[in-house]
Amino acid sequence: MKSPLARLDGIERRFGSVQALDGAGLEIRAGEVHGVLGANGAGKSTLLNVLGGMLQPDSGSIEIGGAPVRLASPRDAWAHGIALVHQHFTLVPRLAALENLALGGGRRPGLRSEVERLTERTGLGVPLDAPVEELGVGDRQRIEILKALLRRPRVLVLDEPTAVLTPDEIEGLFDLLRELASEGVGVVLVAHKLDEVLGVADRVTVLREGRTVLTAPAAEVEPDRLVRAMVGEERADAIALGISDGDAYDAVLPRPAAPRSPRETRTEPRDEVVARLRGVGHAGRLHDVDLELRRGEIVGVAGVEGNGQRELALVLSGRVEPEVGSAELPAGIGYVPQDRSTEGLVAPFDLAENVALALHRAPDFGRGPWLDWNALRERAEAIRGRFEIAAPSTRSRAGELSGGNQQRLVVGREITVARDLLVAENPSRGLDVAAAAFVHDELRRLAAEGVAVALVSTDLDEVLGLSDRVTVLARGRLHEVGPDERSREGVGARMLGGRRG
Amino acid sequence: MTAAELDFFLQASVRLGIPLALAALGETISERSGVINIGLEGSIIAGALGGALGALAFDSAAVGVLGGAAAGLAIAAVFAVFAIGVGADQIITGTAVTIGGLGITGAVYQARFGATGTELSLPTLGAVGIPGLERIPVVGSALFDQAPTAYLAYLLAPALWYWLQKTPAGLELRAVGESPDAAKAAGVRVLRVRFLATLFGGALAGVAGAHLALAHAGTFAENMSAGKGFIAISVVVLGRWNPVLVLFAALFFGAASALQFFLQALGLDLPYQIFLALPYLLTLAALAGWVGRARAPAALALPWESE
Amino acid sequence: MRGCSGGAVADRGDGVADSRGGGSDSRDGGSKPEGGVAGGLRVRRFESVLIALGALVLTAAAGAILLALGGHHPGEAAAAMVRGAFGSRATFLSITLVRSIPLILAGLAVALAFRAGVWNIGAEGQLYAGAAAAAWIGLTGAALPALVLVPAVLLGSLAAGAIWAIVPAFMRVRLGVGEVITTILMNFVGIHLAAWLVHGPLQESRGVFPQTDPIAEAARLPRLVPGSRLHLGFALALVVAAGLAVVLRRSRFGFRLRAVGESPEAALIAGRIDAGRVLVVCFLLSGAIAGLAGGVEISGLTFALYEDLSPGWGYTAIAVALLAGLDPLGVVVAGILFGALQAGAGAMQRDAGVPAAWVGVVEALVILAVLALDRLRRVRRRGGV
Repeated sequence: MKSPLARLDGIERRFGSVQALDGAGLEIRAGEVHGVLGANGAGKSTLLNVLGGMLQPDSGSIEIGGAPVRLASPRDAWAHGIALVHQHFTLVPRLAALENLALGGGRRPGLRSEVERLTERTGLGVPLDAPVEELGVGDRQRIEILKALLRRPRVLVLDEPTAVLTPDEIEGLFDLLRELASEGVGVVLVAHKLDEVLGVADRVTVLREGRTVLTAPAAEVEPDRLVRAMVGEERADAIALGISDGDAYDAVLPRPAAPRSPRETRTEPRDEVVARLRGVGHAGRLHDVDLELRRGEIVGVAGVEGNGQRELALVLSGRVEPEVGSAELPAGIGYVPQDRSTEGLVAPFDLAENVALALHRAPDFGRGPWLDWNALRERAEAIRGRFEIAAPSTRSRAGELSGGNQQRLVVGREITVARDLLVAENPSRGLDVAAAAFVHDELRRLAAEGVAVALVSTDLDEVLGLSDRVTVLARGRLHEVGPDERSREGVGARMLGGRRG
Repeated sequence: MTAAELDFFLQASVRLGIPLALAALGETISERSGVINIGLEGSIIAGALGGALGALAFDSAAVGVLGGAAAGLAIAAVFAVFAIGVGADQIITGTAVTIGGLGITGAVYQARFGATGTELSLPTLGAVGIPGLERIPVVGSALFDQAPTAYLAYLLAPALWYWLQKTPAGLELRAVGESPDAAKAAGVRVLRVRFLATLFGGALAGVAGAHLALAHAGTFAENMSAGKGFIAISVVVLGRWNPVLVLFAALFFGAASALQFFLQALGLDLPYQIFLALPYLLTLAALAGWVGRARAPAALALPWESE
Repeated sequence: MRGCSGGAVADRGDGVADSRGGGSDSRDGGSKPEGGVAGGLRVRRFESVLIALGALVLTAAAGAILLALGGHHPGEAAAAMVRGAFGSRATFLSITLVRSIPLILAGLAVALAFRAGVWNIGAEGQLYAGAAAAAWIGLTGAALPALVLVPAVLLGSLAAGAIWAIVPAFMRVRLGVGEVITTILMNFVGIHLAAWLVHGPLQESRGVFPQTDPIAEAARLPRLVPGSRLHLGFALALVVAAGLAVVLRRSRFGFRLRAVGESPEAALIAGRIDAGRVLVVCFLLSGAIAGLAGGVEISGLTFALYEDLSPGWGYTAIAVALLAGLDPLGVVVAGILFGALQAGAGAMQRDAGVPAAWVGVVEALVILAVLALDRLRRVRRRGGV
């Protein structure tokens, strides 16, 4: 057995009222790929940020090569041979790729040739002199990895690197990680998808609610045991017995992607087209998009982030006028934006004021130039009750709610205005299993009531699991996916055509 | 226009442009780090008083310039503590620092020289001609027969450009101003960079103030900065955050201000107050015409916390 | 990591760029967004009062230390100041309250703008524009009856203030040039414009002093309290404050304004609110109220336009608005407080030998103290650090 390169033990860390880490640990050995699993909110990123010197723990110990250390900054971490590839890009958009690679490294005259040697060896080619803002997400991810590799790390930590990659690119990345491990590097890989991690990892560690609940060799542990570790025994039992929604299970288990049969609840075909895009182009990121949405159907839009999803969602929800082409949209549109805390809500506003955001023009909620706050507060109260938002009253501020409850508020509000169409953009991102299941239920229920739902998501499983019809957005162009292509592989192939840069 | 008039005009343009250039160059550095210091006006007026007091105490204009730099830096330090250390809004903090800077210089001045303000007579920063260069036709004497602080501005502009674009420290500063989170992830000490950049800007604004008192007026007067800090901030925008362009933009505004003397000398019957308003109007017009195409540092004016 | 200061230099407000960091794990993200600065400073009433009181205590302490360092006796200075501001009914009505009128109105202008995320530092110039218009109308309309002329003077000053705000509003919304610098530049233009008027076209008929002739009797505001100098302008300021409070709390427009100020992104995406339109309306309204401050000063107190009419009311208004937590009714209280400060400064200089320039220092201290306490509140709320 090899000696550990790094060991974290009993790490605790609070953010305000949230105990993000509550006794988490991780041991990394030379030459292994170590998968770290956990549901959203389990504390994976926090733990890795502690290892990378980005965050200081409130308590707990960190040992590198057997000696206790304090990692007060990323510099400290590098000095100990630890490099972190962040989940969110940490590149400076207006600087060139090479400048980003040089940043923080002091004077390095031979940097360009060093980078070129490295790209040749790893196959991570990127244009070095272009500003990062002009590059696609795949290139940015490669630059992040190059940045870490330039530090010649003994421990390489990658936080959810696969989210922005196509299936093929993910394979390429995993090959590289195996090769690095074979050279003696300890590789830590975070993902919340079980199959990805099991495909490459030698050992896995599972975090739940800020605690390490399991560490085992990947080959010796049953997927079912991992799922139980991730979601907790009680919930796993509930899922198995069908008490809780099966979606929770799906979110972490690889799911056989079978075409879904039309739901029983839909007794009659509702063919009325409620929204129609014709030849829509926008902001250089959408090109010639045609799309029809009918009552009662969920249309999934899959794709790698940065391929025009945002622009499509904005056009479809009527938030922007398309620059090219036409958009015929209904009156009652709800929009659940991806970034609920900054775009869906006004954090210092209370619940009623946030509900008013969607209703401030409605004649029912005011008279002339004045708003009827009693009516608005009643509506907010109804949403709070119906969507089980954990807030003391409608006078609580939205910014004080947890992420899941913020999403309930946004979904609840938008559903009340989505009489014809709901556009949902990555609606379960960042939610725990239960909250994600809740959101999925609501989308299904809404469709059953005859509302058209556009589900724009980078989560392929979410799209395949919920949609009646699947489309793929690649390089700003929308492709319909036929029933025979409806699989991870089929959709993945479509996505591949669309990687930018 | 006669040659003498032209020479007078150019001379005045440069003389009026230099304090703007010094303050704007410093502000360029702090803005490139993501800090907009509206308190620049406070640093300039403090620099003028510090320059006057320093020059008076040691009977030396050179010491006065140092005193000006120290005073400007002290005011910028107050700004930095609140805007960077505490993380308060930069615009409001800067406005407060300007109000406070004007107040405290007035109070110190009145305490030292009496409520009416006795006419001060200060050792002045005389013009130092650069042999050879000052004989260049047309612009020679205007550019190269100036106070030593002018040469400081000439040298700083290209030096700061080189430092920003070509050195690792300059790269770090630009990264901090564009994306502090990314800079932190790359190991840059964001708050330290911002503090130092802001203090540098304050010190240069102090030198600009000392220049006003010692090279222009030979005296100190309350509110003598007369909005130069705000014009300097506009000059940074016009120079598109590029030190070399900033120097030219400052000289352009020096010329706009010099028009008042020049047009008066021509006997044009326009009221004096219109000339006083002219630099501000020209700044507005130039901002309207230019800025659309320029991009401010992405993190400008955004407070940042380390976690 | 947080913020959104509106367009400081180049506007970054309205576009929906794709620069979303993409807040994933709520546990992993660190701090929660708190909205813009305008949002942060506009807090629940009791907190706002606590912050204001705390700021006053801090200011008094820091001011006393600075005064002592400057060789003055803080106690004597304070006593002189209180005497000058509150010494008698006459001083309170005729000096303190009279001084507070332009401060309240300009403070309301600033508070309204800041609530919408408009950094209008230009109340000073807008005030001069309003004053100039009031003087001009008051001089040229001398033949009109008071019932017509007084409203004309006030409307003229409102319009002039709004016009003064058009240039920065246009530059922000259409050209993407931040309003901080443009409003400050417009201040200088306004000050020089007034100076030109009183040296040139509107100079008094004797042509000696840089001021206008007195405006017509029919253009003057009536006294509010007989025997004092307190004029109708004070009542006007109270009416404007109450009106703004109701509009902000109850009206659709006020709601949109607050939404845009707290979060332009959410206002656009969740509220489908055209931020540009709200900003322009709010900018012009803010300018108009600042213009009214100048008009009321002319028609209620000075009856003539002077060079250096304002000792920086437009800037003091920022301190007033912040101390009030950007709350219109709070502005009334803060305005009276600053009126007392300015009224007391004269007595302080006369009786305790403390230069009046110290008022600027006190104003700066108030602003800095409010900012620091506001930050403290947020850090405490978040539970971090």
